[in-house]
Amino acid sequence: MCSYTPLELIYAGGFLPYRIIGHSEPPQNADSYIHSNFCQFVKSTIDVAINGGYNFLEGVVFVNSCDAMRRLHDVWKRYVPTKFMHILDIPMGTLSLGKHYLKEEFNKLRIALENYASITINDQDIVNAIELLNESRLLYNQLNSLRTENPPKITATELMNLTSNFFKTDPKNWNEKTKGLLDKINTYPNVQTRSNNPRVLLSGSPLHEINFISFIEDIGLNVVYEDLCTGSKFFDLIINDSKDILGSLSEAYLNRTPCARMMKLKERADQIYKNAKKFKVDGIIHHSLKFCDTYLYDVPALKALLTEKGLNVLFIESDGGLGNINQIRTRIEAFSEIIKN
Amino acid sequence: MLEKYFTQLEASLKAKLEAKATARRKFVYEIARIGTRIFDDNWSIGWTTVFVPYEILTSMGVSGMFVEFFGAMLAGTGMSSKYLELSESKGFSTDSCSYHRTIIGAALDGLLPEPDVLIGASIPCNGGVKALKRIGEIFNKEVFILNIPIDITPKSVDYLTEQFEQMIEYIENETGRKLDYNKLKNSIRYNNEAREYLVELNKLCMNVPSPANSNDLKNFIMIVLLLGTKESVEVAKLYRDEFKSRIEHDLKGATEEKYRLMWIQNRIQFKTDILSILEEKYGAKIVIDELNHIWWDSMDESDPLRSLAKRIITHPLVGPAERRLEVITQLARDYKIDGAINPAHWGCRQSAGARVLFKDALQKIGIPLIHLDVDCVDERNYAQGQIMTRLEAFLEMLSTY
Repeated sequence: MCSYTPLELIYAGGFLPYRIIGHSEPPQNADSYIHSNFCQFVKSTIDVAINGGYNFLEGVVFVNSCDAMRRLHDVWKRYVPTKFMHILDIPMGTLSLGKHYLKEEFNKLRIALENYASITINDQDIVNAIELLNESRLLYNQLNSLRTENPPKITATELMNLTSNFFKTDPKNWNEKTKGLLDKINTYPNVQTRSNNPRVLLSGSPLHEINFISFIEDIGLNVVYEDLCTGSKFFDLIINDSKDILGSLSEAYLNRTPCARMMKLKERADQIYKNAKKFKVDGIIHHSLKFCDTYLYDVPALKALLTEKGLNVLFIESDGGLGNINQIRTRIEAFSEIIKN
Repeated sequence: MLEKYFTQLEASLKAKLEAKATARRKFVYEIARIGTRIFDDNWSIGWTTVFVPYEILTSMGVSGMFVEFFGAMLAGTGMSSKYLELSESKGFSTDSCSYHRTIIGAALDGLLPEPDVLIGASIPCNGGVKALKRIGEIFNKEVFILNIPIDITPKSVDYLTEQFEQMIEYIENETGRKLDYNKLKNSIRYNNEAREYLVELNKLCMNVPSPANSNDLKNFIMIVLLLGTKESVEVAKLYRDEFKSRIEHDLKGATEEKYRLMWIQNRIQFKTDILSILEEKYGAKIVIDELNHIWWDSMDESDPLRSLAKRIITHPLVGPAERRLEVITQLARDYKIDGAINPAHWGCRQSAGARVLFKDALQKIGIPLIHLDVDCVDERNYAQGQIMTRLEAFLEMLSTY
């Protein structure tokens, strides 16, 4: 569910990591299980789970990423029969002690998976998984770098579709297909023409609806980077090989580009600025899911930091779907006019 | 303005206490003194979230104060709306916790004195740490974050103990104050003494009928600010003596009791007489507040840091809801309650998110629960009539249960 889940350990244990990202349809039964003032991700996820939509999964790894996710874990545990459940604790802030703690947490997950499946996950299994998933990230970033060009050689919708497939596909197959796509684009660079629209970076809460990105593109903006846990930022991670493989894994995850939950606002703003420059953006659209404390508490301060850096920022709040989107459309259109000039 | 408020409050409470010493008067007087201490040059100021080890802060000459306390206080004095409006005008969401929005608004408005240190713990909620971060930015100060591990293991106790050591270094660097280790050891002794009385007074409230009235222990969670001091021992002893005396004297001083209720999470902080009405008109009394439960064991004076770490890690609000549900169920049994009230404070993801689980856990042992769906700090949308109607219906249901 969370981008701090070490996929490498799950894969090394012989499981296929499948990411739950929620959906944008109105939840049917969620309000009977969780307070209505929870974000669409939590509400839609529990809705699907209660209705048996995740019964095909062997188990679920939760992360103590926010208050809402912790409660999602509790409600799921009580009402959704699930063979394997584990909750990972991830430290926040900047204390160096967190590195050792996270390593221990990763080790607990490793042992839990071993016990559940009666297997041994040895270091070499983890190294192999790291190599495979590093390759996925490398491939994504090669494709993503095509968006540094103007006009971008690939659209955000295409990349978000690719990302969405990654969340539910064996990385081996995904890597092969993505290599093919890269070859195709490199061989026929001009086969698709892209518009020369204003360029924006989208940051904020995880987005579950690809059509939301398409909606922004259809307004006449090129989304060239998604600073989202379900977008480009997810792939901004490389794990180094070392003798202390769990140490490397935990250090890489802990030091990855932080999300709002990690309480490192300045680092987040710096990273957004860095990508804004690299991808030559004209503006930032910061989107927060309604009821998402993690991102909403940061909005005024983040907006101030980015504005100080000379960036144009539009803040929008929604349930991440396309219902009642017209007000947002008007605001994005107005923002588009501003950054065009 | 705030200094004047606390000084006047302390003086008026002192006069009342001298006129007639009751446990409640002593408690609120000591809390008011902590408010006044913010303006005492002999102390450094620490803004915190609620579950940090105040014993360490106090032993270093740092007057710690959790931000929700201020939110509650401003609501109690009818001032929260002004600060809520201010924080909302700066872009803070109306869907977030109003305790936090109030304190952020107060900081933006210059009401809060500048802190020397800011210390936030990852429990009970991430929102508290975020609010503290925003306050830190207003004063251009770093926030020290304590990560409270969710599992109770020797390693997690080690981890938190090491964080306390780094926190002490941080406080030393920011204030120039050193930890007086003997003071800290003494504070553990005081804590243990107070704890004995607190456990005892809670046991007295298990008596049917209870010696406590609904508001005797309102917001008693603020005792955490006093823990580790002789004043906390005095307060706890006074309550114990008072409740014991009421039981020994045929409950003179306690109101009539028809229904025994448990209150989950925090009370409503702005002025409202719903609990008085329930008590006086219907004989429905809050006999236990979930947050007044004493969850920790007696601490080891020779190992204060580890003892304090263990106390925090074992708090029922840490990690998944299971521990909390166990505690709520146990309290329901121990205090022989007839029903439970959960305000489901708007914006409190950590608590409101578990409301179905609370109901479910209590239903299993035959105890009904009512969710009020109120905002405990923001009175702008409060509709007392609706709340009373629901509570009256709940009591009617209890009478036939």
